[in-house]
Amino acid sequence: MTTQTQLLRFDPQAARRRASVTGWLVRAVFLLPVLALVLWVPHHSDDWTNDAVFAAIYAMVGLSMNVLVGYTGQISLGQQAFLGLGALTAANVVHTGYNAPDPFTFALGMVAAVGVAAGAALLLGAIALRIRGLYLALVTLVFGSVTADAVFTISSLNGHDAGVSAYRPTAFQSDYGYYLFALAMVAVCVYVDVCVRRSKVGRGLIALRDNELVASAFGINVLGYKLLGFVLSGAMAGLAGGVFAFWSQEFSDKDFTAAAGFNKALIFVVMVVVGGLGNRTGVIAAAAFFALVDPLLAGLAHHTGWLSFYTDHKQYISNLIGAGLLLQTVIFNPGGLGQVLRPFTRWFAGHPLSFHDEHGDAAAAALAGGSNVRA
Amino acid sequence: MHVVADSFSTQINLLTPLISGIANGAAYGLLGLGLVLLYKSNRIFNFAQGEFATVAAIVAYVFDRGTGWVPKVPYFLAILIGIVAAVLIAVATERLVIRPLFHRPRVVLVVATVGVALFLIGVEGLLPYPQTASLRTISDALNVQSYVGRVDGVVVLDQDVAKLIALAVLALGAFLFFRYTATGTAILAVSQDTTAARVVGISVERISMTTWAIAGLLGGVAGVLLAVPPAGSVTPGSITGLTLTVAFSAAVLGGMTSLPGAFVGGLLIGVIEAFANADNGFVPGLNSLPTAQAEVAVAVVLLVILLVRPRGLLGQEA
Amino acid sequence: MSVLEVRNLTIRFGGLTAIDDLSLRVDEWEIVGLMGPNGAGKTTAFNCITGFYKAGAGHVYYRGDDVTALPPHRKAALGIGRTFQNVGMVKSETVLENLLTAQHTKTGYGPLRALVGAGAVRRREKELAAHADVILELLGLTQFRDRPLGSLSYGTLKLLELGCALASDPDLLLLDEPSSGMGPEEAHELGDRLLALRHELGLTMLLIEHHVPLVAAVCDYVYVLNFGRLLAEGAPDDVRNHPEVVAAYLGGEAPEALAVTEEEAS
Repeated sequence: MTTQTQLLRFDPQAARRRASVTGWLVRAVFLLPVLALVLWVPHHSDDWTNDAVFAAIYAMVGLSMNVLVGYTGQISLGQQAFLGLGALTAANVVHTGYNAPDPFTFALGMVAAVGVAAGAALLLGAIALRIRGLYLALVTLVFGSVTADAVFTISSLNGHDAGVSAYRPTAFQSDYGYYLFALAMVAVCVYVDVCVRRSKVGRGLIALRDNELVASAFGINVLGYKLLGFVLSGAMAGLAGGVFAFWSQEFSDKDFTAAAGFNKALIFVVMVVVGGLGNRTGVIAAAAFFALVDPLLAGLAHHTGWLSFYTDHKQYISNLIGAGLLLQTVIFNPGGLGQVLRPFTRWFAGHPLSFHDEHGDAAAAALAGGSNVRA
Repeated sequence: MHVVADSFSTQINLLTPLISGIANGAAYGLLGLGLVLLYKSNRIFNFAQGEFATVAAIVAYVFDRGTGWVPKVPYFLAILIGIVAAVLIAVATERLVIRPLFHRPRVVLVVATVGVALFLIGVEGLLPYPQTASLRTISDALNVQSYVGRVDGVVVLDQDVAKLIALAVLALGAFLFFRYTATGTAILAVSQDTTAARVVGISVERISMTTWAIAGLLGGVAGVLLAVPPAGSVTPGSITGLTLTVAFSAAVLGGMTSLPGAFVGGLLIGVIEAFANADNGFVPGLNSLPTAQAEVAVAVVLLVILLVRPRGLLGQEA
Repeated sequence: MSVLEVRNLTIRFGGLTAIDDLSLRVDEWEIVGLMGPNGAGKTTAFNCITGFYKAGAGHVYYRGDDVTALPPHRKAALGIGRTFQNVGMVKSETVLENLLTAQHTKTGYGPLRALVGAGAVRRREKELAAHADVILELLGLTQFRDRPLGSLSYGTLKLLELGCALASDPDLLLLDEPSSGMGPEEAHELGDRLLALRHELGLTMLLIEHHVPLVAAVCDYVYVLNFGRLLAEGAPDDVRNHPEVVAAYLGGEAPEALAVTEEEAS
């Protein structure tokens, strides 16, 4: 169309140009510190390793929230229910008294965790087909607290209130070994997420988030894909729950009370918003941050002599940090951490380093355009 | 709640939880009113409403006790200061958070109120005062004998009467306000179409501030009521955990645009809660339900109602 | 056999009858126009034909099959493409991604395979992208390939929307006011383009249009609606001078209106 004035001489080839061999080598060099941080630092002490596993678990929950809230445009204030269901299932399936389970039972436990959580998510999704926006948010909230109060308190499932032990298989006995397992699970979630995003599944979810009518005109089965979004999200959270169970080596309903769960639900929302809706890297980074903020601050407090004050008030301090970041993101930086990191993640993927962010406001657009995510 | 039981009368044992349920429900109803008000005017769910209430409770408590550098003031003044504090926090929220985001999609604003709630919980927790706010009863404060009324032989505390009166006054006030005052009408106008409202000369900014101030007032009174026995005490975040159940029933019953719906919703929650916790040994068959099952039952009922009528029983729009 | 046939379609919203006993037909390779004043029910008819509204009575047949009750996404899969009055695309995504999304029914793989990330999926994705490039070139939009929609002009968006409708290789295109927002020159180009598309791709089209010269240039047959009812039908020239049609648009009694147009013609 010649009526379009072409002020910008946009070179489509440039956008698709991938890096040369040297370029990749340079990128690999810069990747080293990231790898060091992820693989080598947690080896430092058992405490650090445990914290790193916790970060991995949060990362998976973040990815699950990203699929549901970022891609599908639904609201979830009950994600902790899937986490708990995953942990509960894994622990119960694998429960072998005092012995380490064999690999097969362990794998079965993890698969069952994913399955049960996905099933519960399917149920929630079915409800979401009929109830929208604000009411859906409240339904997910009640879903979370009912699961905590009614399911996790069932004596036969929670070891008669004493907790169900969940020992690690011999291969992952050591803390660091288990951390590598957790990382592998994060990698699985990331892989699934990449597959989703690069295929009709991701496009279908995003389309229905944006405009259900247009999505169905494009041939997308809106009802089916909405359910799929819930199921994927639940599955990832269930996987995180399974990892959690063997990390703490038990399932205890004290870990999953309604009150604690509600707190977690808010943190998960903060996590995915601060990370940037729809942005995988941002969400993982934000999730890891929120998981590590407590140990980091504790360490800081220890060195500056504020430890007792910190320990007494740590919940409130992390609330303040979370709130501050959330408000800052929402008001000033809707794309979240993901948008900030975007030039770098694109560079790592092979594109030229550029701070001119044309696609950057996709998250902001999501926040601006999602016709379903409206109260 | 003291029970003067006439062991031959089953009526008593139903009345006791009913009365205390309504009394508590009064506070819940006020929270619901605040939520619906903001929903009607801003089309958002204010996650921070519970914390407005908590702020009032804590401030009133601190001024009543007189801890640290805070002077001890007379009981009713302390309560007044608490409520004023809630109003101020609400107005601050409107100015600093809501105003910059005024034209963004509603979801963004709701998320922002989550941030405000978390922020307030954090600040409350970090204050150098005791974490639990528990106000004295009116009778303690006035140093008078606890006034005892009798309804069919059941003792009704002055506390409960006060709560009921507060709720009735505020609910009636809200109703009259929206129906008959210029400001009330203006608030509704702004909620429907800000541009049109501006065209007829309504200052959207002023109205927005007023609405939030009123929401703060409603929340503040609710907070003070909840800090007084028999509800007992308020801790940072406790009311927020509560409010959401209230909101849900308000939503279900009224659709979030119905003030009477919020009123009824709150009362209902109070009553259901009282019955669930009651010890009804005198009434054959009506044993107190285990909390978990009661909660599930209530949740299922509410859910079914929403599924059948996604706009709530009384509401007109989602 | 006709491509699209609508028989006795009736839709009611509460007490309002939006469409009353509408029947129309679009035959193979025809371009048919659907006209009428604002509020006549044209978009409502579209919405019903494509499955967004449920018909109160009547049937919609696609190549002889009764598709009245099919949901929109199934109709799209059958080969019915559609555009919207306000641009109907995924606003938060880029041009390319929109074109890829539009090919949802033609990807050749299901969601389960996509999750596993089979090599076949990646190959198909490349093919889909190539097809998208073909469409971009056909419409002269190649330079916008990776742009987010927010940065594009209205005219470009409308054209892109046409591209998305074409992306799934449809049989039948339902276009809702494709020329809205366009000046006379652009509308003329659009007309040429539609004729070319019909010729090259063997398309059948049903257009909602207000732009009389466009309709005259492009449509083989026209139906005119007013207040949900069929007012007139026929070749564009016949319909244009039909007294009741003129009255409907100009708002007078038929003879007066006719007198006015005769005056203007002389």
